[in-house]
Amino acid sequence: MSRAKRKASSAGSAVGRKVADILVVGVGGQGVIMAAAIIADTALLHGGLQVKLIETHGMSQRGGGVQSQIRIGPKVVAPVISPGEVDFLLAFEAAEGLRLAPSLTADGVAVVNTRQIVPPLASYGDFAYPFDALERLRAQGRNVLPVDGDAVAEEVGDVKVAGVVLVGALSTHLPFAVEIWRQAIAKNVPASWLEPNLAAFAAGRKVGDAACAGKVAADARTAGAAAENAEGGADKREGGADKREGGLRA
Amino acid sequence: MLGNEAIARGAYEAGVRVAAAYPGTPSTEIVANLARYDGVYAEWSTNEKVAYEVAFGAAMGGVRALTAMKSAGASVAADPLISSVYTGVCGGLVVVVAGDPGMSSGMTEQDDRYFGRISGMPMLEPADSQECHDYVKLAFELSETYDVPVMVRLTTQVAHQKSVVRVDEPQRSERKPPDRKTEKYCLLPRFSRPLHASLLERVARLRGYAEASPLARVEPGAAGAGERPLAGPRRARLGVVSAGAAYISAKEALPDASFLKLGMIHPLPIGAIRRFAETVDRLFVVEELEPYLEEQILAAGIAVEGKEWFSALGELTPVRVGRGFVAAGLDLPRWAVEKAAEDVGVIPRPPVLCTGCPHRGMATAMKKLDLDVHGDIGCYDLTSLPPVSHMHSAVEMGASITMEQGFTRAGGSTKGSIAVIGDSTFLHSGLTGLLNAVHQGTNVTLVIQNNGITAMTGGQTHAGNERTLAGATSTPVDLPGICRALGVRHIQIVDPYDYQSCLDALKAGLAFDGPAVIITDRPCMLFPRKIAGDGYYEVDEDICTACQQCMKLGCPSLHHTDAVVKKRHKVAIDASTCTGCSLCAQLCKPGAITKAALQ
Repeated sequence: MSRAKRKASSAGSAVGRKVADILVVGVGGQGVIMAAAIIADTALLHGGLQVKLIETHGMSQRGGGVQSQIRIGPKVVAPVISPGEVDFLLAFEAAEGLRLAPSLTADGVAVVNTRQIVPPLASYGDFAYPFDALERLRAQGRNVLPVDGDAVAEEVGDVKVAGVVLVGALSTHLPFAVEIWRQAIAKNVPASWLEPNLAAFAAGRKVGDAACAGKVAADARTAGAAAENAEGGADKREGGADKREGGLRA
Repeated sequence: MLGNEAIARGAYEAGVRVAAAYPGTPSTEIVANLARYDGVYAEWSTNEKVAYEVAFGAAMGGVRALTAMKSAGASVAADPLISSVYTGVCGGLVVVVAGDPGMSSGMTEQDDRYFGRISGMPMLEPADSQECHDYVKLAFELSETYDVPVMVRLTTQVAHQKSVVRVDEPQRSERKPPDRKTEKYCLLPRFSRPLHASLLERVARLRGYAEASPLARVEPGAAGAGERPLAGPRRARLGVVSAGAAYISAKEALPDASFLKLGMIHPLPIGAIRRFAETVDRLFVVEELEPYLEEQILAAGIAVEGKEWFSALGELTPVRVGRGFVAAGLDLPRWAVEKAAEDVGVIPRPPVLCTGCPHRGMATAMKKLDLDVHGDIGCYDLTSLPPVSHMHSAVEMGASITMEQGFTRAGGSTKGSIAVIGDSTFLHSGLTGLLNAVHQGTNVTLVIQNNGITAMTGGQTHAGNERTLAGATSTPVDLPGICRALGVRHIQIVDPYDYQSCLDALKAGLAFDGPAVIITDRPCMLFPRKIAGDGYYEVDEDICTACQQCMKLGCPSLHHTDAVVKKRHKVAIDASTCTGCSLCAQLCKPGAITKAALQ
């Protein structure tokens, strides 16, 4: 069976899938590169898998977009993921999630931070920032898991660990043990920041678990939850707008 | 490991003692990583030619040495690069050149493989991190065996991918007795004529090595998969010749074909290619950029298809190679349907000058005076993009001050023209250009946007800093002093956070009869450490008239609010990111922007 067909026929969990292609996107300074390193290290520590990663960051430290691609499988040839073959999109910023959504497979999962970072260009005329990014993703029929990374991170102690909250939410979709994730986190964060990062991971995982539980429940209930989420999304959008005054420090 | 980290590790294991480079994406991490290994002297040199010669001299002095550069840097270093192949080396010399197909950060898509043919330098091209590690070690061996510098050619996709590397223990490398050989290192015609003859003879011997070496690796394909049937029962056997990142993409795109994977790309093992061609019915060459391999294979009388199907533009990703094979008539379901990344019309997110960036004041003042601005290579190039959109050339390192001289000799422009260069670029290749302006008496004005660091590549040190990469203390170059010594008679130092001073300095520089230099004196906001600034400013919405003067700065901390006056939005300041540079307050005519009171 060709890889494309195999992908099309496998739904839901990545277990048993030959290759997991993961795209992590965000804005410079959000921790995209570190999150990708944690995911790649987890797969390596899991053992028996090949892992390749490629970063494109151009001038990300100056407010530009940043991307990291990770490919995991028994055998991985190219580090670059081909269009339409991303299994998991981990977006640190809502508009970046919307931008990269077309790279997903039909049943691919988008874990999207509800955080909105409006680029300066929005104030210069030709372009409007998509405050409705999450709604548009849902309208496309995407499998979306919205996560308020900043809020969850603040609950566990520091907004700086929001990236690891997102990794935690994604982790429920990947076939790696929690202990291995924790080891990979320890490898990638300074020792003094380990505790808040592990707490962030656990909190993010809870969000992911809750979403998975929602999926298992009856369709009607899932639809209800989606509607609720949509409202939540709208609320957060306003929150995001407010935060523009207080928010951007990375 | 990143490809670049693997290069550093391999060089360390091979016993490299001296490493020199000027920072340049995508090669910067090589020497940055080598600096962390014990026993390796590493430096950020003033430019790539200097770096090359430092490494070359170290090799002549009997130790293993490495230099690394981006494509444009290889052009800067082309003189010693070519000459050192005539002389040869004593200790091994490895030259890493990282090209940038797709131009993720480069100025051109220069195909560096031709340096091998111009110079006669043997060239290896790794495809992943393991090969980066292995090939750099092999390159040192070849360099000493064949008495020649060896190039390791990378591209962004190899330098910036991460894959697992099996590392080895470092080997001891003893210093050889340094070379003291006039006839070898003095390229006077009487010495270099015989050296050219031995260079050609060496290329022939290296071709023999390439033919016999396992670097040219045949990977037999799955018989009969992925192609159209020929007439009759037998199916066409497909073969692909490739190297580097293109090999990886081709392998992903057409995994069942037979491959001849090349590790040495100069000189080419034409015999091995011919033997491989004989085992297949249809031969493709997959390579990024120019038809470098294709033309040499065709010249040897071997039928091959290449650029007909695979673009000479940009990176060849697996999908682009796959689409090429489909265009060539292969039946490949995975690539049959065009799945170009759909543009969903989301607002672009280009990089911008940071909040508080010291380049902003001068750039805005130049725009105000509507000068023709001839820039150089650095962060200030971002002023060529919206919202500032006021820079009219930014071509290569050092070109600002020199092109400005020609522009002035051509008659200049009515409102005046100016050259703009950063401190690191000025020290890299601006000095000689400024000297020329003084000597010729050309009436030009140069702004040195001095932020005290090599910012665009991530904050590497230069001759203006107090520390070197090796950790030694250094006396920072005196920028006004060096300009004075070159003979400049009008030198003004300006605070770029003082907008009126910027305007006044530009006017004074332009009015001065003779070469003039203006130097700014605020540090980069990111490097060597992030600067949070000094308080923040806020907008009184009742006073703001939505005149948009502040928005001309293109500061990422300024944004529109929902309040609209005459179809124009009022402005607010993001207090958490504002660094208090005050430029917006200086531009605000109604006085709506003031410093927030400390709480």
